Amino acid sequence: MFYRESGDFKTSYIQDQQIFPILQDRVFVIAVIAFAFLVVPFLINDYWEKSVLLPVLIWSLAAIGLNILTGYCGQVSLGTGGFMAVGAYASYKFTTAFPELNMFIIVLLSGGVTAMVGVLFGLPSLRIKGFYLAVATLASQFFLIWLFNKVPWFYNYSASGQINAPERFVAGIAVTGPNAPPWATYLFCLILVVVLALIAKNLTRGRFGRSWMAIRDMDIAAEIIGVAPLKAKLSAFSISSFYIGIAGALFFLVYLGAVEPTEAFGIDKSFLVLFMIIIGGLGSILGSFIGAAFMFLMPVLIKNILVNGLGWSTDIVAHLIFMIVGGLIMFFLIVEPHGLAQLWRVTKEKLRLWPFPH
Amino acid sequence: MQDIVKEDDILLEVRNISLSFGGVKALEDVSFDIRKGEVRAIIGPNGAGKSSMLNVINGFYHPQEGQIWFNGQLRNRMKPHQVAKLGIARTFQNIALFKGMSTLDNLMTGRYIKMHSNLFAQMIWKGPAQREEIEHRQKVEEIIDFLKIQSIRKTPVGKLPYGMQKRVELGRALAAESKLLLLDEPMAGMNLEEKEDMCRFVLDVNEQFGTTIALIEHDMGVVMDISNRVVVLDYGKKLADGSPDEVRNNAAVIDAYLGVSHD
Ligand SMILES: Nc1ncnc2c1ncn2[C@@H]1O[C@H](COP(=O)(O)OP(=O)(O)OP(=O)(O)O)[C@@H](O)[C@H]1O
Ligand SMILES: [Mg+2]
Repeated sequence: MFYRESGDFKTSYIQDQQIFPILQDRVFVIAVIAFAFLVVPFLINDYWEKSVLLPVLIWSLAAIGLNILTGYCGQVSLGTGGFMAVGAYASYKFTTAFPELNMFIIVLLSGGVTAMVGVLFGLPSLRIKGFYLAVATLASQFFLIWLFNKVPWFYNYSASGQINAPERFVAGIAVTGPNAPPWATYLFCLILVVVLALIAKNLTRGRFGRSWMAIRDMDIAAEIIGVAPLKAKLSAFSISSFYIGIAGALFFLVYLGAVEPTEAFGIDKSFLVLFMIIIGGLGSILGSFIGAAFMFLMPVLIKNILVNGLGWSTDIVAHLIFMIVGGLIMFFLIVEPHGLAQLWRVTKEKLRLWPFPH
Repeated sequence: MQDIVKEDDILLEVRNISLSFGGVKALEDVSFDIRKGEVRAIIGPNGAGKSSMLNVINGFYHPQEGQIWFNGQLRNRMKPHQVAKLGIARTFQNIALFKGMSTLDNLMTGRYIKMHSNLFAQMIWKGPAQREEIEHRQKVEEIIDFLKIQSIRKTPVGKLPYGMQKRVELGRALAAESKLLLLDEPMAGMNLEEKEDMCRFVLDVNEQFGTTIALIEHDMGVVMDISNRVVVLDYGKKLADGSPDEVRNNAAVIDAYLGVSHD
């Protein structure tokens, strides 16, 4: 086994505080990121872009967002779809109002708008907890979708009530609209996701992250060490919504191109992202990626094998997928609330000590 | 210990505190003070109002009547996190650790009020945030050494045995480097050896760091050993206040502990 920490002793706190303290992990992650930036853009085609890479990247971002709120700060939210819609509609209003504005700035601004909306809908969390908070966020989900359907200003009074992403460019290359090359849309999302994931990791391992986890684990004890619940909860709501809003903006601008709110950002999306973080791992940035990839790709894979390969009927397979997801959710909630990320960590720990488990 | 005390020797004073929950009177006209640098015990039978007193001091409960003076200043109504900033830390009767975090993270969280790097610095990490993190990590490691919990540094606290959890909770309170440390039954449920360790830590904190300590404790032996002065509560009222010896020989206290009827 090469997977060893033996001989890899930490001699300073800096070394001990690294994101991936084990050398092999560090090398592996850097290799993956290098591959994603330097190799994938040359191999990518339409299928990989639309069916695998873009959705996994965008859902990972949404999962990181919800994980900050639910996994780290312990505030359950069923409003993810609604907040994604806020990001999408904000980006639509910005792109149409300021056609010359840089796309990165548009996307970040949309996240900013969503963050403000998130704080607003996070206010009840100061009074209510757990199940009741989940219901309150559910109400915000329905309210937001209703709002985007109802108020024509949001969709610029278009006859269909839909919003359509106009063609926009970064450095002269289209990243939205039907003519955007796959490698460009992919890199556009990849840059945002990598940078934002790193920022999320930094936030969660420092002072802010600890104040969120303190509120999650024992709110009265958090207060006596000086954490103001108002500040901790609302900062979690705003940063979480910032990420979810950006995911929504990318989902609309880059991935779907045209959006009808009920269909694109319905309650099913809220549950989807919640399932991603439960299966991937509550309170883990890495788990957000694993969960998003798993929840999005597992059904595709099963469908490919059973429908295309073995010729099963589509609705049987669809039901089967429901059952598998349901079973997995129950398994992880009961057996391993820290999800696949934790299973991976445990495996690593075993490997590290192998062949002497004690 | 009956000599006259100067005003500025007093760290905290509660005056005429009355607290009730609906019909239940948890505290009735209770006054006492805590001098700088002393170990002050609060004792009394179950339900006497001891924990309620601590909750009043650190801002969880707001008494209907009475005043709280801290460091010579009358304190306005405050929330617990504001009280923490004044320099008051505490532990709980029922352990209130952050179960999902490691020992190290619990202690680092205990330094929350000492850390100031802003959101932007935290996002970047390299630079001010990392420097601050390392500086405070050093402080926390000193506490870890002091409490001899090096071997459980990275263990999630939920997995630790009860006695160790109590010790980590003390560590988290120490991490705040407060002026006043409130300990609610720090030795409850411990075996003799663990109790001795805990007594040692409490005395060392008091002597080495000069921290003023108020502690609630049922074990009279412990109280007699480590406290400078004792205040006794019973049914929400102050029954006695003085040195351990005075309190031990006080007739009313003996009655209360032996369960003699109150009339
Ligand atoms: N939040 C509350 N709501 C209602 N009643 C309360 C509350 N907190 C305390 N009380 C009541 O106040 C009284 C004093 O309780 P307190 O917990 O302060 O006692 P204690 O001296 O700490 O007892 P113990 O030794 O059992 O810990 C009790 O009658 C209790 O039921
Ligand atoms: Mg008590």
